[in-house]
Amino acid sequence: MKYLKLKSIVFGLLIFNSCAKSDQFEANYEPIPLQVEKPSNFPDIEYTIENNPVTDAGFELGKKLFYEGKLSANNAIACAFCHEQAFAFTHHGHTLSHGVNDGIGFRNAQPMQNLAYQREFMWDGASTHLDLQPIIPISSELEMGETLSNIVAKLAAMPQYQKDFKRAFNGQGVTSENMLKALSQFMVMMVSANSKYDKFVRNEDNVVLTQIEQDGLNSFTTNCASCHATDLFTDQTYRNTGLPVNPQLNDKGRYNLGQNPADLYKFKVPSLRNVEKSYPYMHDGRFTTLEAVLDFYDSNIQGNSGTVDNALLRADGSYGINLTTYQKESIIAFLKTLTDYEFLEDERFAEF
Amino acid sequence: MKQLKYTLVLLLCAIISSCSSDNDATTENLTGQKGSIALKFDNGVGDQNFAFNTTYQKSNNESFQLTTDLKYIISNVRFKDQNGNEFAVPEGNNMFIIDQDDANNAGEIFLNLDNINAANYTEITFGIGVDQDKYTQGATGQGNFLTLAQDKGMFWSWASGYKFVRLDGIYTDATTTNGALAVHMGSVGTSLDNYKEVTLTLPNTVLVRTNKSPEIHIKADILKIFDGETSVNFADGYNQVHTDATETPIIAVNMQNMFTVHHVHND
Repeated sequence: MKYLKLKSIVFGLLIFNSCAKSDQFEANYEPIPLQVEKPSNFPDIEYTIENNPVTDAGFELGKKLFYEGKLSANNAIACAFCHEQAFAFTHHGHTLSHGVNDGIGFRNAQPMQNLAYQREFMWDGASTHLDLQPIIPISSELEMGETLSNIVAKLAAMPQYQKDFKRAFNGQGVTSENMLKALSQFMVMMVSANSKYDKFVRNEDNVVLTQIEQDGLNSFTTNCASCHATDLFTDQTYRNTGLPVNPQLNDKGRYNLGQNPADLYKFKVPSLRNVEKSYPYMHDGRFTTLEAVLDFYDSNIQGNSGTVDNALLRADGSYGINLTTYQKESIIAFLKTLTDYEFLEDERFAEF
Repeated sequence: MKQLKYTLVLLLCAIISSCSSDNDATTENLTGQKGSIALKFDNGVGDQNFAFNTTYQKSNNESFQLTTDLKYIISNVRFKDQNGNEFAVPEGNNMFIIDQDDANNAGEIFLNLDNINAANYTEITFGIGVDQDKYTQGATGQGNFLTLAQDKGMFWSWASGYKFVRLDGIYTDATTTNGALAVHMGSVGTSLDNYKEVTLTLPNTVLVRTNKSPEIHIKADILKIFDGETSVNFADGYNQVHTDATETPIIAVNMQNMFTVHHVHND
């Protein structure tokens, strides 16, 4: 009781001190903390949660921004335009993404899932923090074509957003920092860890793999898991897989970051979660099916002028991973156990 | 226990709000006093004032002029007093862009730093660019600086990084006349760290008081970017400096050595 009294005195003082600004900020709003899911088969979280603890208001604001066209120059291209939930947040069926003014990007939109567990972002690792990643598509002339200051001005002009930002950030207004933090709060909550495979490895719900899925898992472990490592199915490194260079794009991959010749044609090892739904494949979306991807690794690596990864070197000095027809079939059967329908249909992440 | 804590907080509030006026200094007690410091940045080239569209000579019979941009980022400003205590400008207001376009007619660019603890300062330290912490902490603590940097062309969306320095102009060497000169460089994410700090001793003590706003006049010799610790030649690729792992650290060190404190005004 006494404690309550003191608390109300302190509160009263606060009000007195701040009453010059008679903003009707929802003083009685208590943020509800949200926890980022930590599946037992996952490695540690990489995202700096302590700087940006997730709350319901921050998450909801982030979701609203994710689906907000005003983040683009023509007010029509939201993040979700190229990241559709039903396809593991990829741009369904598009090899390369398109954006404002009919711009065509250079790379295939990556799935968005388990981002709290990633150290770097984009195919070439151009972003080293999740908070800063959205600036890339936002500023790209080929994607959203907008500046941070225009976005801040557009959002600040909308009373509802002013309220939303104050709720999410303890009374603070619309700033680029808060906008990026809200987007991160939405993104770090997007954890995909409830596929058939997950339930199998965690011994949940008596889930067992079929024979062909189990055979596929075994072949995968032997032939693919050194790069597609951990239950994130990526070791988060950059590798040159010997994909022939598309001369029209001439995309040099990670080399573009620091002009280091050792980085020529290197791209990030992608996660394989929900890979059944995230077609087309590779950094430029050149393969439509998983069969085409496995055929490439088996027999179509032609090399390029960069250094092809040693993991792909056969005993005879040629590049490739020997896979029989059954191994390919079974690996694909296994990969389909990574489809997480709970995630793909999770209403928390859906626009409507 | 909790009640006690609250009572103490209240008591402290009462003390702080009442004690500001009755402190006539016979022995000067600076505790709790705040003042401000103005940093006056003054870009020059050798012994000349800097101006756009003016040709300057450098080593190796090369010359250059800047036509549109002379900008650099200053951050993590802090001061050391005569007793060795350090005071850092509060986080959240400690990243700045020195932009020649913001200069007054005398070519001076002012940074006004408020809420500085009253003390007798003898040393200033500041960073050129943005430290690695900021890269690993994401948007935290950057407020609208990202926005400002993007508006001033000091930010690559690609590689999500700040340009620590931006020089745009033309150069002339033995084989090229009026070729494009561009130094747009920073760190490259967390893989290449080009953040540098500068510590300068102040020629006389800077007295910060509630009623005193001293000014520190800092000169930056732009020539040293090319003719500094290491002399570099446009002919060898330094006409275009962006993300190269050899060139950018050399320029970063050269910039680290281009600043001097010319004088201090206490008033």
